[in-house]
Amino acid sequence: MKKQSVRRGLAVAVALGASVALAACSSGSAAPQGAGVSGADYSGPAVTISFWNGWTGGAAPVLVPKLVDQFNKEHKNIVVKNNPLQWGDIAAKMPLAVKAGKGPDVAVAHGDDIATYAAQGLLLKGDDIVKSLGYQASDFPDGLMDAGNYGGTQYGIPWSVTPMGLYVNNDVLKAAGLDPANIPTDKDSYMKALAALKTAGVQGEWVDGYVFTGTFEFESLLWQFGGDLFNDGVTKATFNSDAGVQALTHMTDVIKAGYSPENVAQDGNINALVSSKTAFNWNGVWQTTNTALDKVDWAATAVPQIGTEKAVWSSSTHWMFMNNKGQDKNKTAAAATFVKWMNEHSSGWAETGELPANNKVRNDPALLEKYPNLKPFLDELPYAHYETSAPGISNAMATITTAVNEAVLGKKTPKEALDDAAAKADQLLKQNKAQYGG
Amino acid sequence: MTLPPRRTSCSSRTKPSTVANLAPIVPALRSPRLRRAGGNRRTGIAYVFLAPFLVLFGVFVLAPAVYGLWISLHNWNPLLPNQPFVGLDNYIQLFTPGSLTSGDFWESMSATGIFTVASVPLLLVVPLAVASLLNQKIKGGTVFRAIFFAPYVLGVAVIGVIWKYLLDPQVGVVNHVLGAFGLPDNTPWTVDVPWAWISLVGVTVWWTLGFNTVILLAGLKGISPELYDAASMDGAGVWKKFTNVTLPGLRPVMMFVTTVTILASANMFGQSYLLTKGGPGNQTRTAIMYIADQGLSQNQMGAASAMSYVLFAFLAVISVINFRLQREKSN
Repeated sequence: MKKQSVRRGLAVAVALGASVALAACSSGSAAPQGAGVSGADYSGPAVTISFWNGWTGGAAPVLVPKLVDQFNKEHKNIVVKNNPLQWGDIAAKMPLAVKAGKGPDVAVAHGDDIATYAAQGLLLKGDDIVKSLGYQASDFPDGLMDAGNYGGTQYGIPWSVTPMGLYVNNDVLKAAGLDPANIPTDKDSYMKALAALKTAGVQGEWVDGYVFTGTFEFESLLWQFGGDLFNDGVTKATFNSDAGVQALTHMTDVIKAGYSPENVAQDGNINALVSSKTAFNWNGVWQTTNTALDKVDWAATAVPQIGTEKAVWSSSTHWMFMNNKGQDKNKTAAAATFVKWMNEHSSGWAETGELPANNKVRNDPALLEKYPNLKPFLDELPYAHYETSAPGISNAMATITTAVNEAVLGKKTPKEALDDAAAKADQLLKQNKAQYGG
Repeated sequence: MTLPPRRTSCSSRTKPSTVANLAPIVPALRSPRLRRAGGNRRTGIAYVFLAPFLVLFGVFVLAPAVYGLWISLHNWNPLLPNQPFVGLDNYIQLFTPGSLTSGDFWESMSATGIFTVASVPLLLVVPLAVASLLNQKIKGGTVFRAIFFAPYVLGVAVIGVIWKYLLDPQVGVVNHVLGAFGLPDNTPWTVDVPWAWISLVGVTVWWTLGFNTVILLAGLKGISPELYDAASMDGAGVWKKFTNVTLPGLRPVMMFVTTVTILASANMFGQSYLLTKGGPGNQTRTAIMYIADQGLSQNQMGAASAMSYVLFAFLAVISVINFRLQREKSN
């Protein structure tokens, strides 16, 4: 994580520079600091704050109102209005709402959206809030604070993480004469297990070419081989490096060797695991809440180390404070109190198939007592990689899925597919820089 | 949002739906009286009656279309405060090989072309055959008509989900049934070409043939039985009657059906979006799908509007050619 500490150092330097600049010029489009937050508890006049989130499915629609109610009861001077919307609707409505002063005071966003919001000037700079709430990078998994950082300024406060893991169908392993207590952890043992499964007539891992989950597997492998998605300034795609080619070649080799069927449909792999047609599936922690898995004897472990180092893909969600036209500082302060409180009471969030970001909550043994399946995912966090923080990045990310799809379907060699995608991504990154700056 | 003409809006609906489109097939009702002096007054009254629709048309179709043209001359990212004017750059980019948008755009246009060329003939011939059969005096004709029309009632999301399950290469019912008959059971119906095209066209024909059937059936009912009798007396057989009575009698209806079918196929979005995700690679990503992605997901409204206008130009030309061809035939 040397690169990250360098980045953090840079971040501090830039933040210092930015605050000097801010002091000199308080107008313009630069987002103001969400200042005036004192300590953990808001003590100002009574306020009502609006909270937008995309939690419309799973356990969240029950869980969140409960948490919000409890918070409102415990805080006489704050009323939080919970407003769940589809994620897509939030992205569409936020710019206009915030500019009209009608946006939320606090919202949750995915890690790869933070920078896009920040570049539009929709977010308050969070450095002061982070400081006054007493948060340190070490309160969260390694590298997670950086995932909410853009241009050296902290905009997001971590809320949850969702790493990938290896799901195992023990029934299939046993039927093939393999020991479920002995799950592969490295390339050697993984390929041996796949070979043994093939002998028993089972295609052990179904490799697909879609975002869920081929792209996530490719990214995990890319990092395992020591590569990265983009260069440091996010001006150039680097996923077509040797590491990327090795990663994608591993996936196509699994298909070529007959360990995976060709032409797997989207979600085909998790469906195959559920119907005991395959033994392994690289998938996100959210599948731990998939009730269809109840039918089989399954387990989850860390993804095997195929490359030269341990690494795994993870996404994350973050709190952000909105820079509404005429934003009331008291409301922002109350929102900060709410965020801190939520992070402290986030243990139940595991119910939704996401891991609470707060280390204290996550390291509490009570969490694993209630959700034992989460153990391998918690153990993976020290080497998890998060989404790239750059405005408009989703267009460049989409080229990766196209490459994975083309390679997995045998339309192009891994190198051709990745080179083509990287060339396209470079153009898109240039466009993003031109439009969003930064 | 602000994607310009209605035809190229990113609605996932590809069914023809406006009754207004029927207008061209209604023969011009020009009575000689209209040409006399009172004609002007009558024309005026007609405009008064048309005015309410004209207002709606102006506000919801014409104005957005013009606004879209304006947007297409800018680097228009709705998220950002400034929308710099770039003149025709968005259009030039589309016609410059190697630019950010041209490769993807023309790939998507060719996907739309493939789908249109493959689906339109089937969507004309199959419904014509079905309508001819339903036009016979057979028992349960109404029931069959209802059955053929039924899928059309479903939304694209519903048929997308249904067929995604049925056509799944590994666990789908279709491959399972094929396997039971000793045929290949691993055809990648939704994953790889050309099978993905077969799926997309097949699903679309299944989904929308009922609409064309019902229109053509109405057309068939409108052909006078006396013409058939006369043809019989001249010694025409079934085929001669079909080519000399049925087809000419259906011409105006056929023109309408052809036009709306071409437009609907050229605007295909939902089937690809749901069944194939545009894959493999981006080979089944249609023009509308790419325009929607550019405009609504990537916020490149300027580029997306320019693409909409290029697509619009193509469709306009095709529609004009179609009208010309049909008119010449009927003369």
